Amino acid sequence: MALTKEIYSVFEDVVGPESICADPVIMPSYFGKNFAAVILPKDTKQVQAVVRLCNKYKLKFRPICTGWKGTFPENIILLDLRRMNRIIEINEKNMYAVVEPYVISAQLQAELMKRGFHLNVKGAGTNTAAMLRGHGHLDQSTSGDDRNHLAIEWVTPEGDIVRSGSLGSTDEWFSGDGPGPSLRSILTSAVPPGSTPGVFTKGAVKIYHWPGPSRLPVQGVSPNITLSEIPPNFMARYYSFPSLEKMMQAEFKIGESEIAFELMGFNIAMVASNMTVSNEEDEEVFRRLEKESQGLGFFIIIAGNCAADFEYKKKVLRHIINETGGKSLESIEKDPRTEGILLTNCIRISASIRETFRSGGMFASIPSMGQRDLTVRWAVGAGKAKRSLIEKGLVVDDGGAFFGWGVEHGHLGKTEIFCRYDPLKPGAEEAVQKWKAEQQKRASDEHYFAMLWGPEDEIGKGLCDYQSWWSKIRKAIDPNGVALEAGSLV
Amino acid sequence: MIEKERLVTIVGPDKVMNEPQVLQAYAQDMSFVNPVRPACVVMPNKADEVQRIIQLANDTQTPLVPVSSGPPHFRGDTVPGTGGAVIVDLSQMKRVIFVDRARRVAMVEPGVTFGELIPAVNKEGLRLNMPLLPRKSKSVVGSILEREPVIMPKYQWDISDPLACAGLFFGTGDEFRTGQAAGPGTVEEQWAVGGMQKAPYGPGTGSWHRLIQGAQGTMGIVTWVSMRCEILPSLEEPFVVGSSDLDPLIELTSWLIRLRNVNECFILNSTNLAALFAKKYPTEYQNLKDNLPAWTLFYNLAGYEYFPEERISAYIKEIDDLTQRLKIEAVKRIGGVSANEILKAVQQPSGEPYWKLRSKGACQDIFFLTIYDKLEGQIGVVNHLVDQAGYGASNLGIYIQPVVQGTGCHCEFNLFFDSGNPIELDRVRTLSASATQELMARGAFFSRPYGENTGMIANRDAATVAVLHKFKKIFDPNNIMNPGKAGF
Amino acid sequence: MSLEKYQDHMEMCMRCSCCKFIPMQRVQGHKYTYVCPSITKYNFHSYSGGGRLNIGLAMLKKGFNYTDKLLDIVYNCQMCGACGVSCNYAMDMEVMEPINEFRIKCVEDGKTNSALEKVITGLRKQGSMVPVTGKRGEWASGLNLKDAVKEKVDVLYHVGCLTSYDKDMQRLAKATVKILQKAGVNFGIAGDNETCCGGRAYQMGYEQDFLNQAKENMAMIKKAGVKTVVTSCADGYQAFKVLYDKFNLKGDLEVLHISELVDRLIKDGKLKPRKRVDLSVTYHDPCRLGRLGEPWIHWEGKRLSQSFVFDPPKVYRRGTYGVYEAPRDVLKSIPGIKLTEMTRIKEYAWCCGAGGGVNESNPEFAQWTARERIEEAGSTGAEAIVTACPWCEKTFNETIKGNGSGLKVYDIVELIEKAI
Repeated sequence: MALTKEIYSVFEDVVGPESICADPVIMPSYFGKNFAAVILPKDTKQVQAVVRLCNKYKLKFRPICTGWKGTFPENIILLDLRRMNRIIEINEKNMYAVVEPYVISAQLQAELMKRGFHLNVKGAGTNTAAMLRGHGHLDQSTSGDDRNHLAIEWVTPEGDIVRSGSLGSTDEWFSGDGPGPSLRSILTSAVPPGSTPGVFTKGAVKIYHWPGPSRLPVQGVSPNITLSEIPPNFMARYYSFPSLEKMMQAEFKIGESEIAFELMGFNIAMVASNMTVSNEEDEEVFRRLEKESQGLGFFIIIAGNCAADFEYKKKVLRHIINETGGKSLESIEKDPRTEGILLTNCIRISASIRETFRSGGMFASIPSMGQRDLTVRWAVGAGKAKRSLIEKGLVVDDGGAFFGWGVEHGHLGKTEIFCRYDPLKPGAEEAVQKWKAEQQKRASDEHYFAMLWGPEDEIGKGLCDYQSWWSKIRKAIDPNGVALEAGSLV
Repeated sequence: MIEKERLVTIVGPDKVMNEPQVLQAYAQDMSFVNPVRPACVVMPNKADEVQRIIQLANDTQTPLVPVSSGPPHFRGDTVPGTGGAVIVDLSQMKRVIFVDRARRVAMVEPGVTFGELIPAVNKEGLRLNMPLLPRKSKSVVGSILEREPVIMPKYQWDISDPLACAGLFFGTGDEFRTGQAAGPGTVEEQWAVGGMQKAPYGPGTGSWHRLIQGAQGTMGIVTWVSMRCEILPSLEEPFVVGSSDLDPLIELTSWLIRLRNVNECFILNSTNLAALFAKKYPTEYQNLKDNLPAWTLFYNLAGYEYFPEERISAYIKEIDDLTQRLKIEAVKRIGGVSANEILKAVQQPSGEPYWKLRSKGACQDIFFLTIYDKLEGQIGVVNHLVDQAGYGASNLGIYIQPVVQGTGCHCEFNLFFDSGNPIELDRVRTLSASATQELMARGAFFSRPYGENTGMIANRDAATVAVLHKFKKIFDPNNIMNPGKAGF
Repeated sequence: MSLEKYQDHMEMCMRCSCCKFIPMQRVQGHKYTYVCPSITKYNFHSYSGGGRLNIGLAMLKKGFNYTDKLLDIVYNCQMCGACGVSCNYAMDMEVMEPINEFRIKCVEDGKTNSALEKVITGLRKQGSMVPVTGKRGEWASGLNLKDAVKEKVDVLYHVGCLTSYDKDMQRLAKATVKILQKAGVNFGIAGDNETCCGGRAYQMGYEQDFLNQAKENMAMIKKAGVKTVVTSCADGYQAFKVLYDKFNLKGDLEVLHISELVDRLIKDGKLKPRKRVDLSVTYHDPCRLGRLGEPWIHWEGKRLSQSFVFDPPKVYRRGTYGVYEAPRDVLKSIPGIKLTEMTRIKEYAWCCGAGGGVNESNPEFAQWTARERIEEAGSTGAEAIVTACPWCEKTFNETIKGNGSGLKVYDIVELIEKAI
């Protein structure tokens, strides 16, 4: 449904003719949907004006940041927040940074590192919005999910500007909660699977101490990029374990001893992907690492605030690894070049693309956030089910592995299992989606965790019918029903 | 209004009270809110009783005021805001439902106090991230739901910590469980597969636990809470750092928390530190105060399972570098108070009488969240106000608690007074209002508005409050849940 | 070559947006993070490398619908290859090739840009991508240079259209010959017989015109019996080295950029930069000397399995083997030169703005792009920006004139000339 000329021109008046486009030719680059228009607002005021117009003309809208893939209904207004890309504030003393939606994690991270800080980087990559809710490799020491948000500036679905927490009362960004109950009960995320209707136009995020250099000493020419030296008081290793039980024991002990800067439960296939620059090399290295590894394992970065701290942390790590029968992957331990590649990838990129999309072009994932040991138990079964797809040649062989890690030094966790596959291979897409549906259902039926995607009524049934409350909240804050929740990943 | 008999059918005759002296005890508290007598007090023992009470209250449009802690109360949130209210006193729901060492989580009912929970978690090798010396009768659940600041900011990753999940009934009477507890399955079914209600987010989009925190019971009644616990250290080494100037202590504090070296960490002025330890008033208290520096930073280093001495030793080295740079010194004893004494004290609830009541019998707290940069100005203005009012800045207790891993701090002014002295009472009441106003003008964020100042605070952020009102209409459409509180 | 051949690759685009930015681990702050001038200026995702692939794929599947907007997207691209480098850090997929093919298809289907049509008309008539003023070899009058077509030389110095005809740029040709003479290189020029390498025509989408030029050039080279071509133009370098090879026209002709040759001569002791040139500089990597100057890889094969692997294994061109070090080594060998790098360099350098026909079809966009680069150069504190392509230099000079920056612009040959 095209916008009428009059309505189009009203939006054009807000953002200018160069920042609105309804030409069908651009739509393939916007998820292949026929959007009523793609609009690029430059600031909160323009977002507010656009949202108000959407309410006036009963046009549904959805914001996106960098994008990735996504699913959207047709004929909505797509707000591409690309022009809102300023770092508003970095408050070192009070450990937060304030960003607009299109500041990507890489940018904020680089600015923070100059000042001796860093932030949680999501698994979606440092090429995505810094204010995203999500999980990533650094969760062990920098938390995840919606727990890194502080105050948020939110344009509500009706077009009001609400500034949460301290922002609304004092113009400062340090707290997102209150007065009284917290709006962060709904201001959780910009993106699905849980997303807040409306638009986050600015957000404050927690920042963390960075014990490394102001800039990682990156060298090489793409794609052969590594570090010229491992930064002082840094160490990266991969340990494999004789059993899942031993691995989890080590993971929990490391969490409780608070020694890890990063603990990322990569499986060997993901390590191989990250170390290598092509699919061919990936397969070859995977086979080699499989032989070196004794079973499931994880990647860990130790970073000391000073030499004494570093020595202590290494000593504890050695002890725990010995206790649990862990074995260090020599390909990393004995090769600073590989160690450097992984350090770079896991801190500055959040790895991701090589280990997910490169091999087949597509991956289908079942992530679960929450209690780590519980979700691991479920993942074992999902991995076994994946093996039959591997045997049939429908998905990339990664040994049936899953991965995950502890969050907040093991208090919480994330477990994920995915299939990498070629969607054009006959039968692959179908098989993968079937596997995904079956395993999600099993997670729900056996009380591990709830399904994340699916009809809300179905999911909500087993979750205290939360969707009925959510639906009421949505109606209350979005009476005209214009603010969509489904959309792009980031 | 609910007839007593109907409540009796739910909880039994011993659990419903409407004797005048009982009602009088709930009609007012240590705050300045207007006394309002409830119609009766009901003390449920089980969650389904709570649900039935709420359903009945909806049917009869009866206000309910949930209370979990024992007296004395200080905030005005447990005093009915309107007549005809029923106090739902949960203090008899005293089950410690579980303590799980592996997942570092405990689940408790609302009546469990810190004094009761601490030994239960200690037994499993765990400990609580506590507020500063809560009173003996303070409910753990109450404290958590109030978002009271905790003394180990390192372990407060989010302002909602240590809350994990909660089981509750909304003002509609509908049952809800937040976070991981929501499902799939009942809590018991989750236990059967090892689910221990640890993850706070969800279900779905919402982080529903944030809705009930800071709500003063206006959204519903919580019947249990799971909370994250920390590991009991195997070795602890506390220190104190004194200074006449707050700045270097703030600088040191921000680094200690940034580097995650310290567990317990907070700053007290001499008035408050003396108040914690003085046993006799006024002489011993005054002597103690006179011998203490204006400000004392307390922090504790801890080691756990692996090489605790080395861990602590590494921290000490790092901190030495910091203190030298700042020209302050970390010591084991300051002005007659030892760091070990402080540590021992703060790992338990307050002894009796409650430390805030020892000097004068009553205390009004003014507390807010702020950033370090603004503290000096905020403290300055309150000092000025109290001096002007004849209260005297030297009598003012000040407590600074870094929060959420260093993203700002909780700042608390404790005004001790004799509630039997009308002049003192009036002076403190006026000061509370004027200080709140001045502090707001200087960037203080009153994230937890209580009592008489609530309106002033809520008015500051009409947009947020407008959205919260929408929530209130959803979760408590008949406005029976503690009406008139939390800005509603 | 055709767009259909790259359908699989275009399907691989996951819309991660990496193509908009320099490789993540190279990001040094909030500034100088973007690598694609097109998306940076025009903002809609369609203008990014990934966006172009998405559109190309949709058109392959649903039919080609040429609208003004589509052509705006297609032609407002410097074809600089940065998107491909950023993508190919992590992904095994072709990015620039399908973007190239899309451009070519537009031209084949008659959907051209009028400004570019004008340029190509000139090429067809006069063998030049710039307006012809006088004879092509006129700049060499009085220099007594060997005619490579008639005399035996080891090296053909291919001057290039801009350098030959532009009065301001002719100094680069003169500096180049002076350097070659000083080093005792047995070289010649084709003079009036030189014709355009065709490289810029290819960038613009005129594949057939490029091929015509390529065949004409190779015929001349074969006739002259020359084994090595050296050029001081990055477009020319890419044309001879990469594109001619791509179309199996190059044979075993050695192709060098002047910076490569000078580097070799310095290291062999045949050229000694002794004179001091006190100047703080920053170096701009021309796209077609750097990431797009990487040798062509001939590959034919088939896809093997559910993983995107091929038989024989496909080796991707990721910008790794462009000419980056030679110009830098040359600069470092000049006494008094202080080299400070910009943030966006080598395989992830920001384009000068001139490529892909943008210089001709949208000079404002070209200038905008150059302005961004000048600002970045200025941020290093350097007095001058040095490059190795006359098109880069021309664009920078025009931009500086317009915005009053005090930054000087040099071609590398000018500095070498000063030093020898």
